[in-house]
Amino acid sequence: MDIFSDLMMGLSIAITPINLAYLLVGAMVGMIVGVIPGFGPSAGLAILLPLTFGMDPVGAIVMLAAIYYGAMYGGTITSILLNTPGESATVASTFDGYPLAKQGRAGPALVMQAVASFVGGTVGVILITILAPMFSQVSRSFGPPEYFLLAMMGMLTLIVMIGANWKLGVISALIGFALGTVGVDLETGQSRYTFGSAELIGGIYFIPIAIGLFGLGELLYAFYTGMHRTGSGGLVQYDKESRFWPTAQDFISTRWTMVRGSILGFVVGVIPGAGATIASLMAYSTERSLSKNPENFGKGEMAGLVAPETANNAASSGAMIPLLTLGIPGSASTAVLLAAFLLWGLRPGPLFMGQNPELAWGLIASMYLGNMVLLAISIFAIPLFVQIIKVPYRILGPCIVVICALGTFTVHASFVEMWLMVAAGIVGFFMRLYGFSPAALVLALVLGPLAEEALRQTMTISRGSFGIFLDRPASVWIIIVTIALLIILPLIGRIGARAKANKATGH
Amino acid sequence: MRIVFLLALLGGAVFYTYIAFTDLGFLTRTGRLGPGFFPRIVGLGIIVMTLWAIFDALGQRRTAAAADHVTDELEDARWRDFLLLVALVIGYAVLIRLFGGWISTILYLGVALSLLNPGQLKQNLLVATLFPSGVYLLFDRVLNANMPPALINLPF
Repeated sequence: MDIFSDLMMGLSIAITPINLAYLLVGAMVGMIVGVIPGFGPSAGLAILLPLTFGMDPVGAIVMLAAIYYGAMYGGTITSILLNTPGESATVASTFDGYPLAKQGRAGPALVMQAVASFVGGTVGVILITILAPMFSQVSRSFGPPEYFLLAMMGMLTLIVMIGANWKLGVISALIGFALGTVGVDLETGQSRYTFGSAELIGGIYFIPIAIGLFGLGELLYAFYTGMHRTGSGGLVQYDKESRFWPTAQDFISTRWTMVRGSILGFVVGVIPGAGATIASLMAYSTERSLSKNPENFGKGEMAGLVAPETANNAASSGAMIPLLTLGIPGSASTAVLLAAFLLWGLRPGPLFMGQNPELAWGLIASMYLGNMVLLAISIFAIPLFVQIIKVPYRILGPCIVVICALGTFTVHASFVEMWLMVAAGIVGFFMRLYGFSPAALVLALVLGPLAEEALRQTMTISRGSFGIFLDRPASVWIIIVTIALLIILPLIGRIGARAKANKATGH
Repeated sequence: MRIVFLLALLGGAVFYTYIAFTDLGFLTRTGRLGPGFFPRIVGLGIIVMTLWAIFDALGQRRTAAAADHVTDELEDARWRDFLLLVALVIGYAVLIRLFGGWISTILYLGVALSLLNPGQLKQNLLVATLFPSGVYLLFDRVLNANMPPALINLPF
């Protein structure tokens, strides 16, 4: 009953004209970002974060959350109409989405992906509503040793999921940790790696690095791969089809697919490092193995589109649990969200929901509304998104540079940070080109200072003994869970990789 | 290029670790962990992992050289496009410092679009003027955010 009254209180905060306007704008902008190939929620959040600086914290967080899951909705439109995923979490949606469109069922595919995203997102938010207070309760006993271990768990699971390039993932994470050490050491007051620069005393700020890596870096990579030379020639013309809406059979045949995809996606999303991409590939693979017609998968099976779509949206919701209740982001997108929280002086963690009930429950309530708004936008604004897809990358690219540069400048009115963004963009391009993980770098940049502080506090408490990690039951449990994840996650990754390989070989 | 990137990374890591060992103490005067504790572990970690990655890359280069199907022409075109955009971005950053947010964006988009989207003069002009105006209105008027000020004020 407590949860219900908290949720009602959240709804009363979310349903104000200004917050609804922020929600609508965030959902719309998020979808537009998601539609642009190569740009997912992380890029969208990083680039658009500065736009929320003039807002009050509740409105800003509501808008950023809407951008976050709006980008997840938008990424599928290009998967279906152009066979080009908007971002990695919608790769699995191309497997059956594009064949459906080629068969003249683009309209039903677009509507079903919107419905599936809505179901996945809404089930995810319902599970957040139930589970987040429980997680908060459990994590209230956590101290510095547990926080250090949780930060390490987040990093290790992310690196394990990188797979064959794990060494480059470790290097990326270590670079993030190294950047996180720049600035004044809060315990001793000594400057580290500032080289006399006043701009660096406060440390290397997160936003220019995130905008550089995810925004400019992705753009440079898109130019390198020649995306600006190709147009939207392969775009399926859905408006020439006789039937836009799905049939009753489409809904009936995929109803259990939506349930399975939602639960699986949410569970995978809660695990730090696993994320929406793995969730969508796993859901696709599971659905195919459970299907009576597995041979139809990859040839335009509606369940093959619905499964990854419900899973990736449920995973986005699941990823909010460790962020809100532990203050530990499990992905690059939630790392950017954490940075946004910190920017407004809010510290997500075990006490967050108790100390900031208006904000926490306002955010959760806004996610229910956001999913409804996105369902409507996804269906009725399709012609607008198709127009955006038609804008050539050679025009879109220079405009994205403008948003990256001016967005970075607006944060602190700093030209140094703008140049830092440019440098991060160039480094991000090489990282992308050679298989490094910009996500691991950004996550480590956010978690690094927290991990260092927690470790030093732990060592002070234990008088320099690492045995403290084995003396505390909560620490031991985190170590056990981490080891279990390190064993299980590569297996999950293999299922996802197999689904991709099967699609590539046409099996 | 991959080796060059890794070597540059190694150079940076060595410099970072050198400072961690020479300028930053491992322990504080009171015997607690000092400001150099974390950077030393991180620095040594980057050096070890980067060396490992360099050896891997050297091994892969021998096997990949024979199987490389990307033509030199295509590779050259890719790097040309990348360098063009990098040059445009750096040029834009310099222009912003000199002429502020609005004028520099018009100049940058004018040049960028004429190079990337040649032969579409009307379309390029429209984008190069309307987009910066829209961005200016959004940042400066609607969001009340800081637009970069000009170092040199133009007479118009």
